[in-house]
Amino acid sequence: MKNTRKRPVRKEKDETMNSKATRILLRGLFAALMVSAVFAGSAGAAPAWKFESKSLEGSETILGGAFESALTVPGLTTKCENFLYKLTISNSKSGTGEGSLTELPLYNCTTSSKACTVEAIAAEKLPWASHLTTVSTSSYIVIEGVKVGILYGGEECALFETLATVTGSAGGLIDNTAETATFNSSSFSATKTALKALGSTIEWTGVFPTEAFEWHREQALTAS
Amino acid sequence: MHKSRTRMGCTAFVAVALAVLGLAGSASAKLVGEFTKFQQCPWTNAEAKKCLYSLTEGGKVILGNKEVPIVKPVTLQGAFGKPVERISPFIEATNKVTLSKTSEEVPGGLLGIVPPAGSSPLVKALSKFFFDNALTGVNATLELAKPASEIKISELNLAEEAEVALKLPVMVHLENPFLGKSCFVGSSSSPITLELTSGETSPSSPNSPISGKAGAFEFLEEGRVLQLSGNELVDNKWSAPAASGCGGILGFLVNPIINAQLGTTTKGHNTAILKNTIDIATAAAVKKNNEEHP
Repeated sequence: MKNTRKRPVRKEKDETMNSKATRILLRGLFAALMVSAVFAGSAGAAPAWKFESKSLEGSETILGGAFESALTVPGLTTKCENFLYKLTISNSKSGTGEGSLTELPLYNCTTSSKACTVEAIAAEKLPWASHLTTVSTSSYIVIEGVKVGILYGGEECALFETLATVTGSAGGLIDNTAETATFNSSSFSATKTALKALGSTIEWTGVFPTEAFEWHREQALTAS
Repeated sequence: MHKSRTRMGCTAFVAVALAVLGLAGSASAKLVGEFTKFQQCPWTNAEAKKCLYSLTEGGKVILGNKEVPIVKPVTLQGAFGKPVERISPFIEATNKVTLSKTSEEVPGGLLGIVPPAGSSPLVKALSKFFFDNALTGVNATLELAKPASEIKISELNLAEEAEVALKLPVMVHLENPFLGKSCFVGSSSSPITLELTSGETSPSSPNSPISGKAGAFEFLEEGRVLQLSGNELVDNKWSAPAASGCGGILGFLVNPIINAQLGTTTKGHNTAILKNTIDIATAAAVKKNNEEHP
């Protein structure tokens, strides 16, 4: 008897719980959909190359020289007076900015040490692919497949006659107002990129102008 | 005439004294700062291009069943010449101590050494007498099995964590009152050849790949000294010959017991992990530092 009397109560409770569970599930599903929609929106917003706020069609060549650039391992900094580059940019079919670094001549390089000179320095395995990406609303350019060989000289230099090869990928913050790309530890960290030489991570800092040289000369270049 | 001779004598004496003092000054020239580590670098040798000082302060050597942790620092020092296809020949330290003979304690010593089950009662009794007592502590010392010139080093492989960074022909000297003075695993004719890498190994089974690391590098003395700290060199694909020379005249009994204790020491059963701090400077930089501090 006790059981028969209690059954409807339990059924009622079960129904209430089921309806609560359904509501919670629906809310969760809705929230999940919202979150995925936001992420989808973020992924779809990968920056494109734009001139005067219009998406670049076809390709354009950017030429320039670093305002300043230094490659540092603890205790030794290498700088080049002439750190030039040639980057061909375009937008992919999906609208993401891409690029191909085809030239990177480096001249008049010195070190912070009196003992060490730079006998030779050259970019290897060009072209290097690049693409634009967004991290926390900021636009970055990521250069992949970086490879630079540096032969140090100076018979008192610990790296005398040793070829140090810098490899990895580099991410730089694009400043649309100043029209520059800045590479430093923050930009590397944001883009999860790193350069290594002699088995260790090294620091590379550099500020590069982003200025068109062909069809869009003197037009404002942005990545957004 | 007499006074003149005296003056000449005095002048000569002073000249000799000055020369002696000059030589003494030259002999007492010393290295300072980070260069003091290179005291035993043969930088006067024309073949020596770079000086090396490596201090192993940790790691372990597993030989068959026995694992010996490296507790006391071991030093590898000397110089290396110009590389040919990335590999440089090594040049012996000036004090001839290229690899320091540092005794490491074998945990457990000889306690627990049990002769093979099929051994005769005499062997079992001798084993109990020799090894089951308070004097059974054993030290193991890694010694060079060949001249230092047989060591090979690759500075680039070391830094790039690729292939063999250091090829070291060694033998393990087991020391204990009962083992005598000539108990070795490996010899000059049959050395243990360690091919240490800062990269990943590719050993035979049952060992599995392990990785070393180049470590963090830093330039000291304004770029004249390169220091790799946290460096780890590993090899677990080497083989070791059987122990020999153990137990003196009782070698016929003791050698098999030691070998049984070590177990299988063929490829895939041994490991060497050396945790180092490595300093490198050019011979020219060391020479200059020496000349600057007479």
